[in-house]
Amino acid sequence: MSDMLMAPQETTASTKEPRYSTPGTWFTRLAVPIALVTIIVIGAIASPKFLTQGNLLNVLNANSTMGLVALGITFVAVSGAMTDLSVPALVALGALISLGLQPTLGPVGAPIAGLAVATVGGSINGLLVGYFRINPIIATLGTGFVLLGVSQIMTGGGILYGQPSSLSNFVGGTMLGIPVFVWMFVVVALILWPLLSRTAYGRWVRATGGNYEAARASGVPVRFVKALSFTLTGFLSGLCGVLIALSNGQARPIVGAGYDFLALTAVVIGGTSLFGGNGSIVRTVGGVLVTALIGNLIILTGLPTQSRNLVTGIIVVAAVAVDAYFRRKATRA
Amino acid sequence: MNRSRAGRIALEGIRFRLIIVLVMVLIIGALTSENFLTLNMVHSVFDRASILGLLALGLTPVLIAGQIDLSVGSVLSMSGITTIMLQPVIGSVPALVCGLGVGLLIGLINAVLVVVFKINSLVATLGTSLIFASLALLLTKAYPVASQNPIFGLGLTQSIAVVFTPRALIFFVIAILMFIWLHSTPPGRHLYAVGGNVAAASAAGINTNWHLAFVMVLSGLMSGSAGVIQSLSNATGSPVAGSTMLIPAITAVVIGGTPLEGGRGSSLQTVGGVIALGTLTRLLESQGVPSYTQDICSGLLLILLITLDRLAISAERASTSRTHRRERVVSTNPKYSQERETHV
Repeated sequence: MSDMLMAPQETTASTKEPRYSTPGTWFTRLAVPIALVTIIVIGAIASPKFLTQGNLLNVLNANSTMGLVALGITFVAVSGAMTDLSVPALVALGALISLGLQPTLGPVGAPIAGLAVATVGGSINGLLVGYFRINPIIATLGTGFVLLGVSQIMTGGGILYGQPSSLSNFVGGTMLGIPVFVWMFVVVALILWPLLSRTAYGRWVRATGGNYEAARASGVPVRFVKALSFTLTGFLSGLCGVLIALSNGQARPIVGAGYDFLALTAVVIGGTSLFGGNGSIVRTVGGVLVTALIGNLIILTGLPTQSRNLVTGIIVVAAVAVDAYFRRKATRA
Repeated sequence: MNRSRAGRIALEGIRFRLIIVLVMVLIIGALTSENFLTLNMVHSVFDRASILGLLALGLTPVLIAGQIDLSVGSVLSMSGITTIMLQPVIGSVPALVCGLGVGLLIGLINAVLVVVFKINSLVATLGTSLIFASLALLLTKAYPVASQNPIFGLGLTQSIAVVFTPRALIFFVIAILMFIWLHSTPPGRHLYAVGGNVAAASAAGINTNWHLAFVMVLSGLMSGSAGVIQSLSNATGSPVAGSTMLIPAITAVVIGGTPLEGGRGSSLQTVGGVIALGTLTRLLESQGVPSYTQDICSGLLLILLITLDRLAISAERASTSRTHRRERVVSTNPKYSQERETHV
């Protein structure tokens, strides 16, 4: 009943405020700034290289592709569909097609085809989750398994090489001293931030994740909203793959491995709940910075690279446990 | 009228899908390959089904309870490398026990996350899956470990009793024990109630937390035994042994007819699903199809079946709603279902 009363309020109230003022909101708001400061202090003590301009630009450059995926996952999580585990396969498809079709479609046409195919892949996820209401994790695990198989057929299990072109030079280069990758991430984030926080569509996404039945009863096209979140993630994963492939000049089917978990970690660290209803692009950008710096710290301190995944996994479990705790507290109150 | 009849036929088809899939695979196999329907073939399908089968058997009670365990592949890798790495240090039998212990421990961690911290089992086991997959890579520095005592596990794949090998027998015996537990003992039958409706089950006096914890631990132990058996019979512990086994394991359970939605299923159906998937894999292999095409097949089969399950369940709900409209409102109430998702 209280949800029904919330719905009309929401359209008039300022969208800046979260719908529920739980103890959790304070926690999630302060967690990212505190984490960032802590990591920077630890990093500055641990390694003299940490706080140099070169290192920080490198960190941003290396993580902006993962960041693009995280922006898409934010929409998926806020719409109540948890996450998309087919990201590695979609990244691989984008990367392989943008190189593999270069001889037939040209240096610009092939990346566009790569983006298109990844978007179609994302909309298949959207169809399964949004319209057939299949569990999102199982559905995307399945499509990811299938699409990764498809990308392996495309390469025969090997590596694809591309020809250098003016587009690939541009993508791998810098603009005003800042890498084009970082520009891409900033531009996409600046487009998606108001879309999720300030527009009617963004309210639909939050309403779908907050209370599915109430949103449907108030005329929100809930199925379409969920499906579109996955399509967006497909497009952004494709973009991630295209950027990596063009700047490296080569790609193989495992190019996207790990992107799903890193992006998920960034979203969860940012304080966006995997169970929908609230979250924002700004939080995810904060989460991307935190995960990026943690990864950098692990490399600078000389720990083996696999320990990054170990830390990532522990962070995901801990963050979700905290989220579940505050959610239970909020429903009891 | 016509539509509902077509729907009913489709529903029946979904119910008998195990037989449909098996018969289709057998017919295609018999038509395309000369020596497909032989005892030799049965022997090889049974033997190789045992590893996937143990994972799938572990998953079956988890799915019946309405949960999922995505960490089965990582548990398999961890137990396998533990067994092989400890063999030269403490001897083969204690190493085997330690391998099983690792599976039990990870299952216990999953159970604590799900029951004590109330994390959704999908997300909790996704996290532990990532943690233990990378721990396995860290421990082995990403290289497979060769066994110091390769003779020890040799017996597991030797044939006894015409079509069986010891590891296939272990699989079948555990399946039968699990069937007895699920169908003929009160705790087993209570599990179906927990999976069907948690709130109703706990209102009826069933300790739902205990049941959920037990199935998570059991799943860890079963995946652990799969890892131990696989590493001993291959005399190698590979850190990525389980990385591609999750989807086939879930597919086998779902082919057998245990839906993701909980409250239904049986271990013998899972045995059928494992054999059907194993026969399909064997068929594709005999045609020289590369392994990633086999992945595509099992992935597509999984997506198709869970979509059909979903449609069947909504069709059932729609048909009951005509007579029990109020009940339907209760059972699809979003707040209730969301609570179930986040709190159980």
